[in-house]
Amino acid sequence: MRLSLSILLSLIMPAAAFGAETLPQRWLSAGGSLTEWVVVLGGESKLVGVDTTSQHPATVTKLPSVGYQRQLSAEGILSLNADVLVGTEEMGPPPVLEQLSAAGVRIETLSAKSDVTVLEHNLQRLGSLLGDEAKAQEVFAHYQQQLNRQAQWVSAAQSKQAAPRVLLLLGNAGGNPMAAGVDTGANWLIEQAGGHNVATHASYKGISNEALLALDPEVLIVADRRLRGDEAKQALLKSNPALAATRAAKAGRIVVLDPTLLVGGLGPRLPEGLAALSAAFYPASQPLLVEAHANL
Amino acid sequence: MNPVLRPRSLFIALGVLLALAFFLSLALGPVSLHLLDSLQALLRLVGVPVGDDTLEQAQLIIGQIRMPRTLLGLSVGAVLALCGVAMQGLFRNPLADPGLIGVSSGAALGAAIAIVGGSLFGGIPEAFAPYLLSVFAFAGGLGVTALVYRLGRRDGQTSVATMLLAGIALTALAGAVIGLFTYLADDATLRTLTFWNLGSLNGASYARLWPLLLVTFAVALWLPRRAKALNALLLGESEARHLGFPVERVKRELVFCTALGVGAAVAAAGMIGFIGLVVPHLVRLLVGPDHRVLLPASALAGASLLLFADLIARLLLAPAELPIGIVTALIGAPFFIYLLLRGRA
Repeated sequence: MRLSLSILLSLIMPAAAFGAETLPQRWLSAGGSLTEWVVVLGGESKLVGVDTTSQHPATVTKLPSVGYQRQLSAEGILSLNADVLVGTEEMGPPPVLEQLSAAGVRIETLSAKSDVTVLEHNLQRLGSLLGDEAKAQEVFAHYQQQLNRQAQWVSAAQSKQAAPRVLLLLGNAGGNPMAAGVDTGANWLIEQAGGHNVATHASYKGISNEALLALDPEVLIVADRRLRGDEAKQALLKSNPALAATRAAKAGRIVVLDPTLLVGGLGPRLPEGLAALSAAFYPASQPLLVEAHANL
Repeated sequence: MNPVLRPRSLFIALGVLLALAFFLSLALGPVSLHLLDSLQALLRLVGVPVGDDTLEQAQLIIGQIRMPRTLLGLSVGAVLALCGVAMQGLFRNPLADPGLIGVSSGAALGAAIAIVGGSLFGGIPEAFAPYLLSVFAFAGGLGVTALVYRLGRRDGQTSVATMLLAGIALTALAGAVIGLFTYLADDATLRTLTFWNLGSLNGASYARLWPLLLVTFAVALWLPRRAKALNALLLGESEARHLGFPVERVKRELVFCTALGVGAAVAAAGMIGFIGLVVPHLVRLLVGPDHRVLLPASALAGASLLLFADLIARLLLAPAELPIGIVTALIGAPFFIYLLLRGRA
C-alpha cells in the first residue's frame, strides 16, 4: 500500500516538488538575532523550532525548543522534520551537525559578528532561502539608514557634549558584576551609541569593587532583565556600596539594557536600543525617534 | 553482608535487563519510529533486504544516530562500573570512586586546556576540535594518574593511603588550574567547558567510538583475571602477599586499567558521575563481595543503568536534551544516600 502510494505521488508530484525542494519550508533557528530576522523577513510561519537563545518576539518562545545552541540534539532536530537549520558559528557540537547534514538537513551557518557587512550578507542569505530577496534588501537598506541617522545624531550631540565614560555590567545578581571588555558586542553598542567604554580588558570579566571605583564611569549600563523600575535600581545600589559611590550612580545615570541585545550579532531591535542608550548618554540633546518593526 | 541473590540468577536478570536497555535505546528517541519499521531498518542494516526505500530515514536514525550512541553508552557504563570495582578493591573501601586517583580531574584539566587553550591560540579547526579534546582529556587522565601513582611509591612499595592523599591533593591542584582556565575563557568557551563537565552521549559517531570500545574490551577481559587477587586484597595487603599474590604488580595493573578505562570514557562522553561509585556498591549488596561475580555483574549493571539514564536524558526534554551527567547524579546521589542509611540501620 505504502509503495503504491509513493509511486503514485512520484508520478503526480515532480513539477510541484521542484519549487518546494529548492526553498526550505520547515525552518529551525538556533540564534536569537537570526530568529528575529527570520520573523522580520516574514518567515515566522515556517519556523518549526528555535533554540533557547531565541526569546523575541514572544510568539517564538511557544515553538518547540531544541535546547541550547551549543548542545543541539541530532535526533531532536530530526523529530521536527526540519529542512534547514540556521544558526551562528556557535552552533554545535560539530558531530551533531555532521549527522544532521548526513540526514539531509541543510545547515546554514551565519556569522554573529557585530558588523554591518556581515549583517548584509546574513540578510541576503536568509532572504534567498525564504524566497524574498527584495524584502531582505529593503530591510537592510532601512536598517543601514537607521544606523546612519544614529551616527549623525551622535556626532551632532558630541559637538555639544563630550562622549561620556561608560561601563556595561552583566549579571549583577551574584554581587560580582562582569564588565564588558573591548572585543565584545557590548563595546560595539557603547561606541555606536556615542559612549566611550572605560574598560580595557578583553571579553566579559569579573570586576572588583575597587576597580569599579577607579574606572569611575559617568554612565553605568546594567544588562539585566530583572532590573525594572527605580526601586530595583535603588536596591541594587544599596546592595553594592562601591556601585553607589560611582559618579554614574550619584548622578542617577544608570541605564538598564535588555541583555538579549548583546548576543548573536546585530538584531532588528538594535536601533531602538541604541537610540535609548544615546538618549541616556546625551540628555541635553533631543532624543532620536526610531520606529520599531511592525511585526516585532 | 548476606547475598540476596545467587550469582546465576543475578547474571540472568542482568542479562535480560541489558538486552532490554539495548533494545529500548535503539527503539526510542525523539523521532518516533514504528516498532516494525525499526526492526526492518535494523535487519536492513545487517544486510537483510526487507522492506522498501521508505525505510531510509529509519535506517539512518537507527544506524547513524542511535546505534553509535547506544554502543557508546554501553561501553562508558560498563567501563566506569568495572573501574569502580577495581578502585573499591584497591582501596578496600566501598566508598572509593574511580575519580579518587585523579583520572577524572586530570581528564577535566586536559579538556580545559584543549577547549580554552585552543580558543586562546586563535582557535582550532572545527572539524578537528572534538578529536583534540578527546586526546587531551585522555592524556590528562593518564598523566595525573601516573603522577598520583608515582607519589604513592616509596622504596619499591606503593602505599595506598599515600596514593589516596596524593589523589586528593592533585585533584585540588587540577581544580585550581581549571579555575584559572575558566577565568581566562571567554563567554563561548566557558559554556563549552560547562557542558563538557556535565557529560553527554550526544553526537556519538563510529569514528570516535572505536578507541573506547577497544579499551572497554581490554579492561573487561583483563580485570576479571585479577578477581582472585582482588578477593585476597580484601583481607589486607600483607595477607594477600602471604597468599602468594604479586601485590605490587596487581596494584599497578589496577591503577593502569582504571586510568585507561576512565580516561577513555571521559574523553568520549565527558564527565559522567556516580556510575563508578553506585553500581559496584549495589551489586555487592545483591551478591556479596566475590570479585569473580562482582566484576562482570557490575559491567552489565553499569551498562544497563547508563543506557536507561541516557533514555531519560534524550526523551525528557525532547527535542532538546539534558546532559546525562545530571541524570546519573540526580538518580545516583539519592540512591547512594539510601544505601548508606540502610547499611547503618
